[in-house]
Amino acid sequence: MSSDPEKMMSKADKMTKLTLTRWSADWRGATELYEQAANGFRASSKYERAKVALEKASQGQVMQSSPWDAAKHMESAAALAQKLSIWDEVADFYRKASELYVECGRAQPASDALGKAARALEEVKPEDAIQLYTDACEILEEDGRDQMAFDLYRACASVYIKLEKFTDAATFFLRLGVAADKCDATNSQCKAYLSAIIVYLYGHDLKQAEKCYNDCSQIDAFLKSDQNRTASRLLTAYNEGDIEEIKKVACSSTVSNLDHAIIKLARKLPTGDVTAVQMNAGDDLDEDDLT
Amino acid sequence: MTVIDILTRVDSICKKYDKYDVDKQREANVSGDDAFARLYGAFETQIETALEKAELVTKEKNRASAVAMNAEIRRTKVRLSEEVPKLQRLAVKRVKGLTTEELAARNDLVLALPARIEAIPDGTAGGPKATSAWAPSTASRPDIKFDSDGRFDDDYFQESHESSQFRQEYEMRKIKQEQGLDMISEGLDALKNMASDMNEELDRQVPLMDEIDSKVDRATSDLKNTNVRLKDTVNQLRSSRNFCIDIVLLCIVLGIAAYLYNVLK
Repeated sequence: MSSDPEKMMSKADKMTKLTLTRWSADWRGATELYEQAANGFRASSKYERAKVALEKASQGQVMQSSPWDAAKHMESAAALAQKLSIWDEVADFYRKASELYVECGRAQPASDALGKAARALEEVKPEDAIQLYTDACEILEEDGRDQMAFDLYRACASVYIKLEKFTDAATFFLRLGVAADKCDATNSQCKAYLSAIIVYLYGHDLKQAEKCYNDCSQIDAFLKSDQNRTASRLLTAYNEGDIEEIKKVACSSTVSNLDHAIIKLARKLPTGDVTAVQMNAGDDLDEDDLT
Repeated sequence: MTVIDILTRVDSICKKYDKYDVDKQREANVSGDDAFARLYGAFETQIETALEKAELVTKEKNRASAVAMNAEIRRTKVRLSEEVPKLQRLAVKRVKGLTTEELAARNDLVLALPARIEAIPDGTAGGPKATSAWAPSTASRPDIKFDSDGRFDDDYFQESHESSQFRQEYEMRKIKQEQGLDMISEGLDALKNMASDMNEELDRQVPLMDEIDSKVDRATSDLKNTNVRLKDTVNQLRSSRNFCIDIVLLCIVLGIAAYLYNVLK
């Protein structure tokens, strides 16, 4: 067997092409050659060729009905594409790998693959990253493994925060809360709700924040938690326009246990015009209003 | 009856009826017209009786009678002190046949009277020896003194230097304690958070461990199966029966070959 990867590649290509002399492609042999060629290319740092070789190897595995190996090859190809910064291919390869994993019936690696893709694309293509994160979470939820989804939700929300889409970020935190509720992970759930409220407040949306707080208060676990107290302190401070109190709450230990991104937001509170809130208090219903 | 007896009797009878002897009384009472002297004389006798009674009290063994006598003495003292002002008024009155020095002397005497009255022991003044152990509350303890004499004015509640220092120190220590408690509470919060995160992480890993467990079990049983089958196969390959059959067949083939060789030669 020649040690030159190029030769191996061409040989393997020939093995797979159907000609008059060859009536069925020899996928097994071809796949072996492709794998060896890929190793050779990687050793000599020819990442582009290695990537191509891996693609073909993966296809060979598919033909041989071993999706697991195929998925593994796809992932390696995607990692090389990431190194080469070919972002479309990164997304494509990881998606294909994830599908193959799902074929194997293994949800965790599938979502892991999508998660890796999303992390790679966070900086470059955040919308795609968000889409990937969402798909990953769905895969896990279908499989009933909600707890693994927490990290993905958190990462997704932080991407939204970077994009300054605060409502979406808060929505994701609430989805985290739902997932946590299913697994009885009360601490994560309460932290998620508090993060959502802070995000709403950062987005100058006091009404939403209050609505969110009211909704969350329906939940027993949140009602009994430290995070509930912190949230109520924050909201009363906002309603009274007390900037000192807001700052104090933001520096409290409950807030410091949340995600980094949320802590940064909290420290920047109060944003906008807090005095405007005080005037809102005057619009409250008249006490004699019996309607 | 002897003469001495008669003399003694006569003496006592005379003494008894002395007060009816006008001459003698006039003699004794030289200052009969002087009201001051009369009153003063009365005072003196009363003070002397009181002093005698006080002496009797100290010798008295019966507590009840001692108390009664003390009360008597106190009553006498009060009466005497009430009459002292009358005596004083009489002291300044000029009387016929009295020199200025004597007048001044009378004044002094009157002034000295209240002190003499007070000095009569009546069981309340002096050490605790006068009262007995069964009335401690009536004795004023010499150790407890009320400096302020009941005056509660502004100065009374003024903070002294020591008390304000003490208060300052108290405040400082309280602040330090609060700081310490704040730090402790922060540490506890961090611990609580870490502990609940650990709890959730462990909960997350429980199903994974179960999966690992079942997978490993399956792998072990597969291995065991394979091992047994392999052992069987190897045994079959090496069984002596097959060997003998092989040798016998080989001999037969060699025999047939030799027979043919012989026939063809």
